[in-house]
This record gives sequence, C-alpha cells and structure tokens, in this order.
Amino acid sequence: MAPSIHYHCPCLSSSPVPPPPHLASSSCSFHALHTLFFCEECDAVRCNRCVSVEVSGYYCPNCLFEVPSASVRAEKNRCARNCFLCPNCRNTLSVVPSDPPEDDGRSSIPLSAIGEPPFFLYCNHCRWDSAEVGITFEKPTGLAAQLQRFEDSASDSLEFERLKEHFEPFLRTSSLSSSSHLPTHPSHHTRTSSITAAASAALARDIPGVGRYNTANPLGRSRGKDKSVNKDEMPEYRSRVEIGASGMAGDAEFMKHIEDVGEVAGLEQRWINSWKSSLQTSDLKPLRIPLHSKVSKRCPTCTHILIKPEQKAQSVRYKIKLVAANYLPAITVALPHMQTQDATKRTVAKSTPDEDKGASATMYAGKTYAFHLALTNPLYDPIQVRLSVQRMHVAVSSDGTIPEKARRPPFAVSLPTSSFTVAAFAEAWEYEDDEDMFGVEDDELGLESPRKSGKDKDGRGKTKTVGVLEKKANLTVVGGEVVIGKEARGNVKFNMLVSYTYRSDDPAPPEDDDVPRSPMKGPEVKTFAFYTVVDLGAISPKEVLQVVDLDF
Amino acid sequence: MDPPIFYSKAEFIETDTGNKVSRRATIAGPQNIILGGKTIISSGAIIRGDLRRTGPGHAVVISLGRYCLVGEGCVMRPPYKTYRGNFNYYPMKIGDHVHIGANSVVEAATIGNHVEIGKNCVIGKFTIIKDCAKIADNTIVPPNTVIPALALFSGSPGRFTQDLPESTQEMVEAATKTYYTRFQPLDR
Ligand SMILES: [Zn+2]
Ligand SMILES: [Zn+2]
Ligand SMILES: [Zn+2]
Ligand SMILES: [Zn+2]
Ligand SMILES: [Zn+2]
Repeated sequence: MAPSIHYHCPCLSSSPVPPPPHLASSSCSFHALHTLFFCEECDAVRCNRCVSVEVSGYYCPNCLFEVPSASVRAEKNRCARNCFLCPNCRNTLSVVPSDPPEDDGRSSIPLSAIGEPPFFLYCNHCRWDSAEVGITFEKPTGLAAQLQRFEDSASDSLEFERLKEHFEPFLRTSSLSSSSHLPTHPSHHTRTSSITAAASAALARDIPGVGRYNTANPLGRSRGKDKSVNKDEMPEYRSRVEIGASGMAGDAEFMKHIEDVGEVAGLEQRWINSWKSSLQTSDLKPLRIPLHSKVSKRCPTCTHILIKPEQKAQSVRYKIKLVAANYLPAITVALPHMQTQDATKRTVAKSTPDEDKGASATMYAGKTYAFHLALTNPLYDPIQVRLSVQRMHVAVSSDGTIPEKARRPPFAVSLPTSSFTVAAFAEAWEYEDDEDMFGVEDDELGLESPRKSGKDKDGRGKTKTVGVLEKKANLTVVGGEVVIGKEARGNVKFNMLVSYTYRSDDPAPPEDDDVPRSPMKGPEVKTFAFYTVVDLGAISPKEVLQVVDLDF
Repeated sequence: MDPPIFYSKAEFIETDTGNKVSRRATIAGPQNIILGGKTIISSGAIIRGDLRRTGPGHAVVISLGRYCLVGEGCVMRPPYKTYRGNFNYYPMKIGDHVHIGANSVVEAATIGNHVEIGKNCVIGKFTIIKDCAKIADNTIVPPNTVIPALALFSGSPGRFTQDLPESTQEMVEAATKTYYTRFQPLDR
C-alpha cells in the first residue's frame, strides 16, 4: 500500500480535533482532498457526509433522457421509456425482434429493432430472455407502458396506493401546518418529513417498544403545530393483502420438486422487491431502470450553495463548484526508499546499486525512515505553512484488556519545526517546464538511500532529512523522519495539523508579489488550519527481513 | 514528486505532435487511425484500423484524442453489426485524457473525455461511455451498454457502483498530463 494522506472534516464531532488515528472513527472523519468542499462564508471544509443535498434534475442512466421532475413521481422514479434491467444479472436488456437468426455465424441475435414481431427483451450478458417468462411485445416501442399492467397489478404497488390514500388526509393537514412554520424549506422536504412522521407514528403504535423516529432538524427549530397533531388519532390501517398467508405452502411444494438450483431466484435477484416475491426464477420480471439524479450541495451551516451542476444531464460542468482543492494545499506523501526501489525495478538495465538491504518497500521495526511531503499551493498568493504532529493521547482501557493495541504509538515522527513557503500558483507554471522537472530529479534517483535523502543537494554537506528539500513552481517538498520502536506493530499513522497563512485581499498578478497591494487596504494576513491523517504504511516485524527478495 | 516511468528510446517512435507509439504495438491500417497528440500506445497493444466500413475511399476507423494511453496488451477493435442484412464495421471515437489499462479489450462506439478504464476490462461492442466515467479493473461491460457521465462501473456485468466526485475532470486531466510527462526515454 502506498502511503496516503486524508483531510479532516470536523462535522462528526463537536470538537475541532480529530479522533486518534488508531480508532475506527478516524476513517470516517478523514477524506480524500478531492472529495471535499469549501464554504467561503463559514471559512470551513465540508464533506459529502455533512452537506445538504438537493436533487436538481433526473435522468435515465441508459437512454440519458432527462425526466421532468413533474413526471418522476408518477413514473415511480424509473425510466418510462424502453430501458429495462435484466432481472437475473442487472445488465441492460435489448429489444430484439423474432427475425430468423442471421447466418453470418457471428451472432444469432440481431441487435437492430427492425424486424418481425413479436419482440422480446434479451440480455446479452446472461442470455435471459423475456419470452421464456411469457413476456413479448407487438411493437418495439413504448415497452414500459406495455408492461405497466404487470406493475400496477402487483400486490406491493396496490398496497402502496392504498397506504397513500390512507395517509393523504393526514398529510394534507400536516403539510399545511408545517409549511407555515418552515417557509424556507423546499416543499418536498416538508412532505418527506411528514411522511416519515406519519410512518413513525404508525410504527410506534403498532409495534410496542419501537421509538418515535426523530427527524434531526438541522435548523434546530421546534416543529410548532406538529406537536398538537396527535398522530395516534389516525384510523387504523388494514392491509389489503395478508402478509405471509399466501405463498408459504406453495414455496414448500416448489422447493420439494427442484431439480436445478437455477430454478430458485437468488436473494440478490429478489432483494429489491419491496414485497415478498416468488422464489421461482421463472417469475422474475424485467425491471424498469431506476432514474439517476444530478444534485446540488449546500453548506449545512449557512446553506450557501457549494455545488450546482449545469442543467444538462450529461454535462460535467458546474455553475458553482467550491471544492477544497482550490483553497487548501494539496499534499502527497512518499517514502523515498520505496520510490528508489520502484525506479530500479522499472529501469531496464540499471544495475542495483549498493543499497542496504533494508531499503525495500516495507518499513521494519527498530529502523528510521525518511518520508517526503509535497505541498502544492492552489492559491494565486504564496502561503506560509507550518506542520505539526498532533500529540496522541492514547487511552489505555481501565481493565487492560487490549494492552497490545492500547499502548502509546511506538514510533516518533519529526517534521520541520519552522514554517516554510509554498509559492503561488500560476497558470504558466503548470505544464510548460515539466520536462526540466524530471531532468533535475533524474540524477537523484537510484543513488538515494533512505537515510541520506537530500544530503547531496544541501551544499553545506549537512545531512538534511527533516526540512525543506525542494522548491519548484508552486510545489514545496519537505522531509520528515519516523523512528520506529523495536517492538512496534501496526501502521505508522499519525494526525498532522497543517496551518497556513495567506493574504486575504483580492488576488493580484503573481509577478509583483513584493509590490505592496492597493494602498487603501494593506495585505491582510489570515491563517487557516486543518488536520490531516498521514498513513505511511504497515510496520513489519524485524524477523521478516531475511525473507525479502530484492530481485522480484 | 512522482518518479519518471522509463521506456527504451529504441522501442518508441515519437511523432511531431508528441504521440509515442511502441514498435512492439500492432497498428493495423495506420492510415485509418488518428492520434490527437501526446498519446501513448504501449507495447503489445493491437489497434485494428484495418477493420473499416466496406466501400470506396478513406475512412477514419479509430480516433483517439490528446493525452490518451492505450495500455500494454490492449486490443482496440471497431464494433460491428449486421444491419438490414449488411455486415459492417462502425468507427470508434475516443476523446481526450482517456487512459485504458493493460490487457483490456475495447469495442466501444464512443468514449468521451476524461475517462479511465482499468486493467483487464472488456468493453463490449457499441458501448457508449460519457465524460468523466470510470470503469474499474476487471469489469465486463456487455455490448450496447451506456455509461453515464461521472459514473463508476464495476463487476460482471459492469453495473453502476457510485457517482464520482465533482472534481473528477481536474483529477483525471492532471493524472493523464503527469503520466505523459513522467513517460521518459532511457537512452541505453
Ligand atoms: Zn457555510
Ligand atoms: Zn463533513
Ligand atoms: Zn431510459
Ligand atoms: Zn442478464
Ligand atoms: Zn456558505
């Protein structure tokens, strides 16, 4: 596993400090930089876990038709055109005519929908065929409508219709009352929460011991009149179909006569049905393809929009896109002893230099390793960065049941203690002089042993493992070091606080960095800090050392 | 930070527009193939520009945009079908910043920009892959599949697995450019 770094979003806890890296909760609190957002208003990182999501458009992932929101509900969130999933393997089904097979010897199923009726749906992955389950069509278009009667007569959809009717009067009153209280909410939110409330009330009444589901109200407002509506006063609902009464005996009878496992529909094939469905493969019906949606994302605190896609379903552009990568420096981690090895592996005729045998892709207990952090500045102004390792308070459980894990992290990390600059981002730097970039790095490859990285570059002959190693355009590489204890196990994983200062006035051309900005408002310096978790990889016990084969 | 990926200078031909084509790749019907520039065709790849639509004249069979990578041992073959009784090949069009992992077989009709296809995949005939989609390693995409923008597909048959992040385009663009820069000749 390559070393990794993830960025903290503090939304899961009230504390701005992330959990210690060895706890399971750590992985939930940290995210890859490219998945994070940034709210300028709150000056804070946001993640997919905490942003509020709103659907901005629906489309079918197969025919790519953009479905107007108005018809989405009537069409039950599925494509109402000609798109079906294979009930057996979930591949998209093709509409094929009953033409005699072509004799070109390549394909027995013609793929064009021009031919003789009846038409049927065919899976070109598992060869499921709708004719086998008695479904054929007179014309190759409007298949969803032709299948509609199957769907509408299914017991689950009938039951659902009935449930809706049952709750309708209640919904009408409750949405009236709540809409007057929460005018800022989009209407479907209100409706959703009333449905949830109604369902929860019914559940609480019917099943003893089931608690009321409490919708977390992000705005922290009380739901006003809702409280006065007594949900328990709704008339009792009687289901149309007796659950469990039908089928059981039949299932047993069917199971007795199975000759082939394939006759039984697998759990995965029946899973998405909301109703208990037949066990028999021969009863599986083609499924209309569920619609996908494009979504907008908002800051959960101030409700500013962070992501707003363009309307067109297949466009990958955004009207608004506030991503953390445009605000926070991107950091990558590397272990130079791993890279050296990679390079030797790839270099065709390069003889393996006199590397010490410890320089393999693994880290061994009792050794010291250098690591590199490369910081790239996305801002049009230089930033001043300071790194520090978060001190770890490892709680030892009182009864001492897990002494192995609960011990203090058995490694010590050194990072540059002074702050360093990362130059401003400039478009021109981006790719033009990339060739030189590697020319310079070339000679340093292969002769780099883990402890000596950066030594030769530092003209003063001083070993420089920890500190700034390299600056190039808007990239600064700093070195750190980890001393691993003799008895160490697990991963070298630690939380690192990154704080950087930047000028917060409007960006000026990057060339005149030293020229003072507009005289009216002098450059204001601001600091932003965020946590990361750095995982350098697993520690191998020292004994394994001899087994490592460097020849691959 | 990433070290160069060295190739033997003798093995690759570099064109004026920066395409790098391995002499160990099989380029059939090169007159029917367009490479957009800074595109790499790896060793052992097979590109079937010779499978062209019947009829007179010159036809583009396979076109690849800029910063593409056809991985080692990949097979790129135009899709075919029999339509109204006539057997024919149809062109394959691939956008910019498309990476195809080693040993994958591609018979797609169109692949958009910023698309990543993993190793050992089969992309069936007439598949349409929209911008910024990703196909995980070892995915089997059956013929005629449509893969929407920003979707991750995986498995056999390839199925929608999740939406990709909003910054996918920038990520893929940076990755393909970096790869091209890292891909350096070794003069010995
Ligand atoms: Zn905010
Ligand atoms: Zn969050
Ligand atoms: Zn559709
Ligand atoms: Zn199937
Ligand atoms: Zn905001």
